[in-house]
Amino acid sequence: MTKEQKVLLKVENLKKHFPVKGGIFGNKTLQHVKAVDGVSFEVMEGETFGIVGESGCGKSTTGRTILRLLEPTEGNIYFQGRNLAELNNSGMRKLRKDIQIVFQDPFASLNPRMKIQDIIEEPLINFGVTDRKERERRLLEVADQVGLTPAQLTRFPHEFSGGQRQRIGIARALISKPKLIIADEPVSALDVSIQSQVLNLMRDLQKELGLTYIFISHDLSVVKHFCDRIGVMYLGKMVEIAEKSRLYDKPMHPYAEALLSALPSPHPLKKKKRIILKGDVPSPSNPPSGCTFHPRCASCMDICKTDQPTLQVVEDQHAVSCHLYTEAGKHSFAAGEPV
Amino acid sequence: MVQRVLEVDKLKVGIRDDGRKISIVNGISFHLHKGETLGIVGESGCGKSMTSLSLMGLLPPGVERHDGDVRLGDLRFKDFTKKDWRKIRGKKISMIFQEPMSSLNPVYTIGEQIMEMILSHEKVSKKAARARALEMLKLVGIPRPEQVLDEYPYQLSGGMRQRVMIAIALSCNPEVLIADEPTTALDVTIQAQILELMKDIQNKLHMSIVLITHDLGVVAEMCDRVIVMYAGEVVEESSVVELFDHPKHPYTKGLIASLPDVEEQREYLSSIPGVVPAPGNMPSGCRFAPRCSLAHDRCIETPPQFTTESGSQVKCWLFEEKESEVAAT
Repeated sequence: MTKEQKVLLKVENLKKHFPVKGGIFGNKTLQHVKAVDGVSFEVMEGETFGIVGESGCGKSTTGRTILRLLEPTEGNIYFQGRNLAELNNSGMRKLRKDIQIVFQDPFASLNPRMKIQDIIEEPLINFGVTDRKERERRLLEVADQVGLTPAQLTRFPHEFSGGQRQRIGIARALISKPKLIIADEPVSALDVSIQSQVLNLMRDLQKELGLTYIFISHDLSVVKHFCDRIGVMYLGKMVEIAEKSRLYDKPMHPYAEALLSALPSPHPLKKKKRIILKGDVPSPSNPPSGCTFHPRCASCMDICKTDQPTLQVVEDQHAVSCHLYTEAGKHSFAAGEPV
Repeated sequence: MVQRVLEVDKLKVGIRDDGRKISIVNGISFHLHKGETLGIVGESGCGKSMTSLSLMGLLPPGVERHDGDVRLGDLRFKDFTKKDWRKIRGKKISMIFQEPMSSLNPVYTIGEQIMEMILSHEKVSKKAARARALEMLKLVGIPRPEQVLDEYPYQLSGGMRQRVMIAIALSCNPEVLIADEPTTALDVTIQAQILELMKDIQNKLHMSIVLITHDLGVVAEMCDRVIVMYAGEVVEESSVVELFDHPKHPYTKGLIASLPDVEEQREYLSSIPGVVPAPGNMPSGCRFAPRCSLAHDRCIETPPQFTTESGSQVKCWLFEEKESEVAAT
């Protein structure tokens, strides 16, 4: 990544808490599920920023909150300098022309009663393109870009396979000429041979149209293949952000390290040393004190149980949120406290 | 010679559509040695799950075995009645499923569900069955097993439920365990835990495992031998090292090449063009021919047979031709 790159999207201390209702009439808020709890990151123009993490870590919620499909509880989202969190609904609607999303499940995200051409064209009608000829021109253009033939456009979603449906989803996202596409697990529902077709298509489109992607996935090898910079999330927090080769060569956060080591090796004879984490991910409604990872961490210190670490740049744009790399943590370690 | 615990012989499974037989699994044969792990890989719709269900006699309504047989020791599945199946299932051959969430009964406790299996196969008292259930929970590494015995499935996480499933499946000491995508619904860190557990238990109990998966990473991790399925047929069978080092069938090659490699960076992934043909509408020649870059006239006309090629079995004309050339000279 070069220094001259412009920041396209800047997320600052983003929070999304879901209330858990209870009581006799279901009108009392008992507690909050902190799905996203203070996430900050920047996305540069033209890059692919990956967000990885296990189920329930808040990666999809982060993606949807940026688009304000879910209202953020707190925090700022700057897109080309404008704060999305402060826009009203109609302002946000206009801005969605520039930020689009591709969903995970290609079977559930297309209306089964609409023809493909109507599905792809709908955003244009939404954004006020009234000229029918112009709409048709754009439709054929994006259909060609994603590899759909004009004859296929009059069919219905059930006539398509998973990979083709995902192409339709991508075409729908592209038609409004967005700058940023949030791809929420776009290939997880697809078989490997189809998965690679879709990933190659997304890369071609990025080159051709200068797109920026936020790529949300749980699949570490896909993320490594596709992204430039990667953020690792755990329980609603970003624990590490780094350029991909740095992250995969030298993960700093103990969670990132364990996550990467858990990846099955690509060859039977290349068995690697594996860090097996104990236990499960705690509930986001009642996260552990201090560092949320401390009950499962092998290098847990006393300070980890009480003080929450913050995301700090440690070296060369490699940011990590862990006491192993803070002054207070080093102090705690040197004092010979039980590890 | 190594003992074969399971032998599948030209198994054909399919549906009937207006009296016309449409096969989903089209005459596959394979065997399982004692103590080994055999992987079955393939993409969705290749028939791998139907194969595993027919090994358990659990084919869904409407799907039936058209032809072929399965032998487990000296038992032949062909002439089994419902009652025979009940005796075998769980006792000789057992299965764990993909979805640990939906394969446990939500209204019974974990203990009751493990005991049900033990009580239906062995003449033991309830007390003894409960003690055995506790032992099984300990074996699969569940923390606080005494309490978990009286808890309900909703109180456990996905990884823990899969451990319970394994405990149930193994409670009567089966000879063969069929694991149908056992870790697909789980996160990578939990997947690593479960795979480790399965290997560990296999060593302890000398079980044979049939592992069905679409994840080649899991295959590399777990299996000794692998069969690759495509569109209801086995296209290649080989040892796991041979499969990854020298894949032979163009489909296997394509499958391995389309995996993103964590160690090596390429800008584009290679991909296999096209999609899997639908059952009932299969090409008459080699079923992979329409997607194969090396296909020629013969591939489109006649289906290939198995050929042995440096220790692997492969169903492709490319290798058969080589052999016939050798024979001619």
